[in-house]
Order: sequence, then C-alpha cells, then structure tokens
Amino acid sequence: MIRRILDFVLVLLFVWTCMIMGLWLINEVIVPLEIPWIKNRAVIAIIKLMTSGSLVLLWLWLWREVIKRMFWHTLKTHKNIERRLKSDKN
Amino acid sequence: MINEFVTLIVGFIVSLLSMPLVMKFMKKKGIVGIDVHKKSKPVIPEMGGIAVIIGIAASVTIASVLTPEKTRLLLSFLASTLIAGVVGAIDDLKPLSARVKPFLTLFSGMPILMLCTYDPRGPIFPIIGRTRLTIVYPILIIVALAVTSNAVNMMDPFNGTMSGTCTVITVTLLISSFILGRNDGILLSLCILGPLLVLYLFNRYPAKVFPGDVGSLSVGAALGAIAILGHLEAVAIVAFAPQIMNGFYGLSTMGRLYERREAARPVVLLDDERLMATPDPEAPLTLARIILAHGPLYEYEAARVIIILSIISGILAIFTAYLTKVTI
Repeated sequence: MIRRILDFVLVLLFVWTCMIMGLWLINEVIVPLEIPWIKNRAVIAIIKLMTSGSLVLLWLWLWREVIKRMFWHTLKTHKNIERRLKSDKN
Repeated sequence: MINEFVTLIVGFIVSLLSMPLVMKFMKKKGIVGIDVHKKSKPVIPEMGGIAVIIGIAASVTIASVLTPEKTRLLLSFLASTLIAGVVGAIDDLKPLSARVKPFLTLFSGMPILMLCTYDPRGPIFPIIGRTRLTIVYPILIIVALAVTSNAVNMMDPFNGTMSGTCTVITVTLLISSFILGRNDGILLSLCILGPLLVLYLFNRYPAKVFPGDVGSLSVGAALGAIAILGHLEAVAIVAFAPQIMNGFYGLSTMGRLYERREAARPVVLLDDERLMATPDPEAPLTLARIILAHGPLYEYEAARVIIILSIISGILAIFTAYLTKVTI
C-alpha cells in the first residue's frame, strides 16, 4: 500500500516542482525577454505566449511519459513476481 | 463567522433529509445502477447528486439571506452548479455522446460571466503574482468549469472516490481561503461542504447511492466556480491534480473523448472480489488502473488510496496558497 502511494507522491512532487519552476521561468526569463531585432511589440508578445504555451505542453508531456513508463514497468514487474511465486509453488 | 457556520449546518441537514427521499424515489422509478465491482452485483439507486444540489441550493439561499451583499456572487455560483446538474441529469436519463456532454458543460461558466462576479484583472499565481490575462480570462473561466466538471465526472471508479476526493478538495479550498483571506472562498466552500459530507456518508463503501452524472458534474462545476469566484485558481489546479491526472491519461491513451461504456474496462473483478488492472493495451490508462498495477486490491482499499492521494495533493495545494500569499 505504501509503495503505491509513494510512487504517486513522487510523481505529484515532480509535477508540482516542475509547475513552480515553470512559473519562475516564465516570470524571470520569458516575460522580461527583449528581442532587439524585432521592433513590433505584438510579435514579441506572441513569441512570449508561444514559448510559455510550449512550456505547459512540455510539462504535460513529461507528466504523461513518467506515468506511462511507471505503469507498464510496475505491471511487468508485478507479473514477473507472480510468475516466480507460481513456479516456486509448483 | 456564525453566518458561515449556519450555512454549513443548513446544507448538511437539508441534504441529509433529502437523500433518503431521493433514493426511495429513484428506486421506485427504476433509476438504478449495478455496482459492477461486487460479486453479488447489487442494484443501487442512481442520481443521489440531486440531494447534493438541493443541499447546495438551501445553503446558498440561507447564505444570501444572511449576507445580502453577496447575493449576486451566490446566485452565479448556484446557477453554474445547476446548469452542470441539468446536463448531468439529462445524461443520466438519456446518455449523451462523448462530445456533446463536455460541450454542454461549457455553459456552466456563463452565469459567472453574465453576472460579472469574477475578478476581471485575471488570476493570481504563486511567484508570478497577478497575471494580466484580461482578454483570455473570461474564455478560461468557461473552459475551467467544463474541465473541472468533466474531470470529477471521470474520477468515479469506486464507491466513495468521487464524494471523498471532492470533500478533500473543498476542505483544501476552505483552508486556502483562510490563508489568503478570501471571504468569498470561505462562504462558497462551506455552502458545498455539508452536502458533500452527506454524499460521502451514503456513497462510501459499500455504496447505498450513486451520485450519477447529475452529482459529479454539478459538484465539479461548483468546485470550479469556487476556484474562480474565490480567486483560488492556482490552488485549485494543484488540488485537482489526481482528477487532472485521471482525465488527462485516459484521454491521451484513447486519443479522443470517450464514454466509459465505449472503452474497454480498465479494471477487472477477480473471484475473491479484489480488483486488478487489465493488461489490455486498448483500455484507457486511468488512475484506478495505475494504482492497481502494483497488484489486486479490494475496492475499499483502492478507494482509500485515491482519497489519500487527494489529501497529499491537497497539502501541496495549501502550500501553493502559502507561496501565493508570500508572492502578494
């Protein structure tokens, strides 16, 4: 039971830390970003928005990949254990 | 503070009194569901969420009598909840398609926009502070309520999980409102807490009633509305992590919007009444399936794991509220 919860707690902590770091990155790096060769402010705003949007997508992708790998790895490991227990019994 | 306490008590008592009546009515009308995670396949009355809506309506009415200056805010909250509830009731009686249901829940955010009860300056996030999403924010409100209502609707795999996790989220929003000094958040959280506790009492393992889509969609919309009206957006995102996880994984593995009845079952019932994750690659990767990947569990154990996860994300959400307070 504890192992099940611990796995998720680690994922939750990872996702939460990524979110806070992402917010910091947006606030400290992306928002104050100045691109000297682009004069149009609207274009700069769109670039900033797209960069922030990409960060959010990256965050979601990472979240999905971590869980997907965790699920299939756990399922495989658990099946191997079950198989070993069965063969030991026989 | 007495007003808020009265609101909580009224919501609890009205829901407690109306729940048995709703259950009796649903049984009489044959609006029942089969508890598929039990060998005996008991028949359980559906649409218990109606008692929750009655309780919320009662507590909102009392709150608007006691605090008349907040009537507009309370009205938009109740209207959002009711619209989602009506969509849920339609779905319970005549199942809607996987695309129509989320589309209809988009309307639940409309009362907040029409009554202008949201903060037009945009949401506040930790570290960033107040954002300037003045143009995008109204659109985000509509999407947010549809997301929360459907995320809660998808997170109802075992007895007591939907009601238990939503109670945890409500308590999280309540504590965060205290930390951030958001009086509207405190009042609205207490309006929903009483009815949710009643739902949990009746819906926990072994369930005596199912909330139905009328319950899950309305509660989801109500929680989304509390996040918007109480300016608790960042806190709500973290508190909703298990629901977001569940919905997002399911959708990303299926690659489309889907209804539970259309997809392969993610969980299998064993002979000893334990539940096991299916190895079927076609089945959606839900939170319940991921939890059961470690090995079979009894239904009440699996429900407990999900509620514990919700408590942990609630603690992180409260920490997020602290960070937000430090930022502003």
